[in-house]
Amino acid sequence: MNRSVWIHLLNFTEIIVLAAITYFAVIKKMMNVEFITFQIPASFLQLNTIFLSILIEAMPFVLIGVLIAGFIQIFVSEEQVEKWIPKNRCAAVTISCVIGACFPACECGIVPIVRRLVAKGVPIYAGVGFLLTGPLINPIVIFSTYMAFGNDMRIAGLRMGVGFAAAMIISLIMSLFFKKNQLKVQPHQETIRESKRKASFFVRVWDMFKHSIDEFFVMGKYLILGAFFASFIQTYVSAQSLLQVGEGWASSTLVMMGLAYVLSLCSEADAFIGASFRHMFPMSSILAFLIYGPMIDLKNTFMLASVFNMKFVISLIVLITITVFTCVSFLAWL
Amino acid sequence: MTFHIQQAFRAVILAAFTWLLINLHLNGDIAKYINPKYDLLSKTAAYVFFFLFFIQLFRIWSRKKKHEHQCHHECSHDHPRSPVKKMISYSILIFPLMTGFLLPPQTLGAGAAAKKGTVLTPKTAESQMQAETEVDPSLYDHKGMVVDRKEIKQGEYDENMKRLDHDRVIHMKDEVFEPYYGRINAEPEKYIGRTVKMTGFVYKEESFQSNQLALTRFLITHCVADASSIGFLTEFDEAYTIEQDTWMEVEGILHITQYDGFEIPMLKISSWKIISEPNEPYVYPVYIKIK
Repeated sequence: MNRSVWIHLLNFTEIIVLAAITYFAVIKKMMNVEFITFQIPASFLQLNTIFLSILIEAMPFVLIGVLIAGFIQIFVSEEQVEKWIPKNRCAAVTISCVIGACFPACECGIVPIVRRLVAKGVPIYAGVGFLLTGPLINPIVIFSTYMAFGNDMRIAGLRMGVGFAAAMIISLIMSLFFKKNQLKVQPHQETIRESKRKASFFVRVWDMFKHSIDEFFVMGKYLILGAFFASFIQTYVSAQSLLQVGEGWASSTLVMMGLAYVLSLCSEADAFIGASFRHMFPMSSILAFLIYGPMIDLKNTFMLASVFNMKFVISLIVLITITVFTCVSFLAWL
Repeated sequence: MTFHIQQAFRAVILAAFTWLLINLHLNGDIAKYINPKYDLLSKTAAYVFFFLFFIQLFRIWSRKKKHEHQCHHECSHDHPRSPVKKMISYSILIFPLMTGFLLPPQTLGAGAAAKKGTVLTPKTAESQMQAETEVDPSLYDHKGMVVDRKEIKQGEYDENMKRLDHDRVIHMKDEVFEPYYGRINAEPEKYIGRTVKMTGFVYKEESFQSNQLALTRFLITHCVADASSIGFLTEFDEAYTIEQDTWMEVEGILHITQYDGFEIPMLKISSWKIISEPNEPYVYPVYIKIK
């Protein structure tokens, strides 16, 4: 079909959907809600409840993430990034991991930030370090882990310590294999820099918010997809069937890591879930759950895959899996 | 002046997200999705959405020249170029709005508890320490995130815990359900013979006998997705007549029984009645505030 016809059709559809949203939002109260709900299976309602709850929980963090990303886009220049990041690879990885550890972020809020940083010339391995430690190590996570494990500092401490070590190892190995920025869409920086130099402060702040909005519309759909799949699995796949596989500590560690991946819990809330498996699995498997989940999960994979090359994302997931597993096994062996 | 339909559409989506969040807060349904302690956080999200909506309004109409300038910025974002892709990506964004406005939230029940598979958990060594050591206040008062939490003070908490040890009837009210459950589950032998009063929904497993059912609550840390179920096994003759998901208020004497090779606490019911689902079906972990 002719392209312009398509565009007209699209515009037409947009108007219809627009009207539909308004219609339903306003009319719903007057309609008999029962009428709709009784045709929908209860399991879908449950899926929808979990789906929306993940979204409501993640939205504030994603909004913070896109605002910071907008800020970086407008106010941080490539020259500054070049000045701040050490040339030495090890130093760059260490610094990025430390900054990530000080930075309270959630795994979904951090993807847009890393994407902007990498577009500004931060080396990809430093970006990885930041991506891994940001959600894993921060005061809220430490506190909730401490609470969930009966006010025992040991698990919280191990989670931070082993997590940090694993993040360092992963970023260093990634630095050997990936040199370029790995972004799907290469940034057009020259044009932005020129137009920005001339602009006044007010215009730049305005631009920052506009960028944040665009960033939200790019990231939002992957967050929604990820949240939907995670809630789908929670509703229709029984954790119990997964758990029965977990005999022996190697397979139980893998099961816990798999669970961390598909549940896609926020790193600030996963400690109580981890704690509820204490009687079934050894401590090292629980630790794997607590470290692996914040680094990578289903929801996060969708967002990463939208930003970076597929090959990079898959390598990262494989590497995180192997490293976390090895680190935790090493600890169990000690 | 040019009218940009796509920008207008985005403004509507931002407005709809604002509306959805505010609506959930106004009609109280938000408690069916997230722990009320995080209310402030999602309210802030609603304000940010509204603010972004306001900014977006100015992008709907623009002069021709300005539009070209804007395009430089927008090119660095990966807009799907084909109209079909665009349609798909907007339908994804609209999906949660539609289900959010149209479908009612559902309280988690026995079906979800079965999927999670952690209802009856034997005691663990670590949980014996439950909430006995002091919490470092500097860790606690971190950022605005926890400001709105309904914390209880250390004194009040101690008072509650003392009542667990001395009251004639252990009344597991919502606000103490999680710490009481933790204590009793950790050292059930300490509470043998005590009377426990609790409410919860009925959950049954295949391995239960006809006079057994579990009375359960969901513990929500952050949102419904991280719910875990906690509760006690109970025993009374009419148990087989009661359907899953029925809400009950019971009183019973605490015993210890064997389940799946573990020792777990069990209530021998002395009185029970069926009640309707409470307004607050979930329980939340207790955070102690130290002054």
